Amino acid sequence: MIIPEFEYVAPGDLQEALDCLASHGEEAVVLAGGTDLLVRLKQRLLKPRFVVSLKNLRGLEGIHKKDGVIVLGAMTPLVEVLESETVGKYLPALKQAVEKIGAPSIQHFRGTIGGNLCLDTRCLFYNQSQFWRSGRTPCHKDSGKTCYAEENSDRCRSANQSDGACALMALGCDVVLASTGGQRVLPVGEFLTGKGESPFSIEPGELVVELRVPEPGEGAGSSFQKITQRSAIDFALVSAAVSLRVQGGRFGGVRISVGGAGAAPLFLKEASATLVGKPIDDNRSIDATSGLARKHASAFMVENLGSSLEYRQKMVHVLVRRGIKEAVAMATGCCG
Amino acid sequence: MIVKEGAGESVTGPMAKRGIKRFMKKKIPLSFTVNGEEVELYISPNRTLLEVLREELELTGTKEGCGEGVCGSCTVLCDGVPVRSCLTLAMEVDRHDITTVEGLGEQGEPDPLQQSFIDHGAVQCGFCTPGMLMSVKGLLKRNPAPGEEEIRRGISGNICRCTGYTKIVEAVTAVTTGSNRKNHEG
Repeated sequence: MIIPEFEYVAPGDLQEALDCLASHGEEAVVLAGGTDLLVRLKQRLLKPRFVVSLKNLRGLEGIHKKDGVIVLGAMTPLVEVLESETVGKYLPALKQAVEKIGAPSIQHFRGTIGGNLCLDTRCLFYNQSQFWRSGRTPCHKDSGKTCYAEENSDRCRSANQSDGACALMALGCDVVLASTGGQRVLPVGEFLTGKGESPFSIEPGELVVELRVPEPGEGAGSSFQKITQRSAIDFALVSAAVSLRVQGGRFGGVRISVGGAGAAPLFLKEASATLVGKPIDDNRSIDATSGLARKHASAFMVENLGSSLEYRQKMVHVLVRRGIKEAVAMATGCCG
Repeated sequence: MIVKEGAGESVTGPMAKRGIKRFMKKKIPLSFTVNGEEVELYISPNRTLLEVLREELELTGTKEGCGEGVCGSCTVLCDGVPVRSCLTLAMEVDRHDITTVEGLGEQGEPDPLQQSFIDHGAVQCGFCTPGMLMSVKGLLKRNPAPGEEEIRRGISGNICRCTGYTKIVEAVTAVTTGSNRKNHEG
């Protein structure tokens, strides 16, 4: 497959990159690791006039801890996140998520954490070759007016299948966006809009530069669970991330998110709240919370990924339950 | 040093007058190292590393399977780590060091890993082999003595439809434990 032609720009530093993005605006796409962008270019899902490569940028890589916040540079390669002691110790869910992205030899060395967070939403009826798509009228995501995943849908129902985004949603991260006008910080729940057509609240000219995850306190644990058809190189059919604290044998600060369901990972506020204050060995409560998570997530799910809708909905229950149990084991075992 | 000239291709005629796709024919310089040899050439920025390796440099050992990063047959080493050459723009490896399967051994004198693949029957149709070798090379550079689980994870990005992976894992294990036939003879 041949990539459509474009003009290649490789700015030397961040300022130059932001200037470049500011002047090219919507005609430009940003190339970091390229493991997903190049596929989209090949399938003609994107037809940019400019490709802005970040290969010469320094200072957007690395992980450090500062004032109770774990800061991840957007250009940090996935392999570095995986091998980071800080991430392993404080953010086990993120480590597990990154471990499950693609395969080591494909995505881990070139792929970046910022790139993974900015993984565009996907759908069985959209992420196809140009030839395949040419047989039908364009869907909402393709600036058309049809949805093939759900009949009569007035909007795009594609799903966010990024593992990193799902874990970061549960861990409650902040996204730092830079532009020539300065910086702004958005909670990940606002950065990911949940709209299939425009899944990120990122203005033309803006660049994700940093991810800030608050350091979980004493007795915290987190876990990421994912179901795929293949054990490597596959997107999640459905995934779940759980972050919680154990205080005096009871649940506190529970955050449950479900990926592969809506156009952004779903933060299940109500399901998370039902678990707070319950004893950690109360299996009935854990099951009830998982059931509620399934009920709420099901409302957002449509038949648009490579497995039946019913199965994926069922698996939300299973993954959330597994996630809670593993997060508790982490909170009470290695960290408590 | 290989130098390929191809610059200066500019659009003229009616297309240029209408200002259509003027920027598209521009070729830009690229220099990188392939298997220890410096290469300089002019390419269109939309070429992938795989296309440049196969079509410009005629290093056809690297194969194109799926072209979208799910099969692994185009794996090469970039600065010692495995990357997909089909998902890497050639411009992204400017001034980097690329190793392809041609860089592993000499004619008649294969790399110990290649010899082990041959000895263990880890090659059947052979299409996945170049990518498989490069993924394993990348793995062994970071972890010289991987266990079976680590080997299987290391090659999880490479699809082989013939061997069922068992022979490949055996071949890699034989190299890491120093028990392949070539070592016995030597």
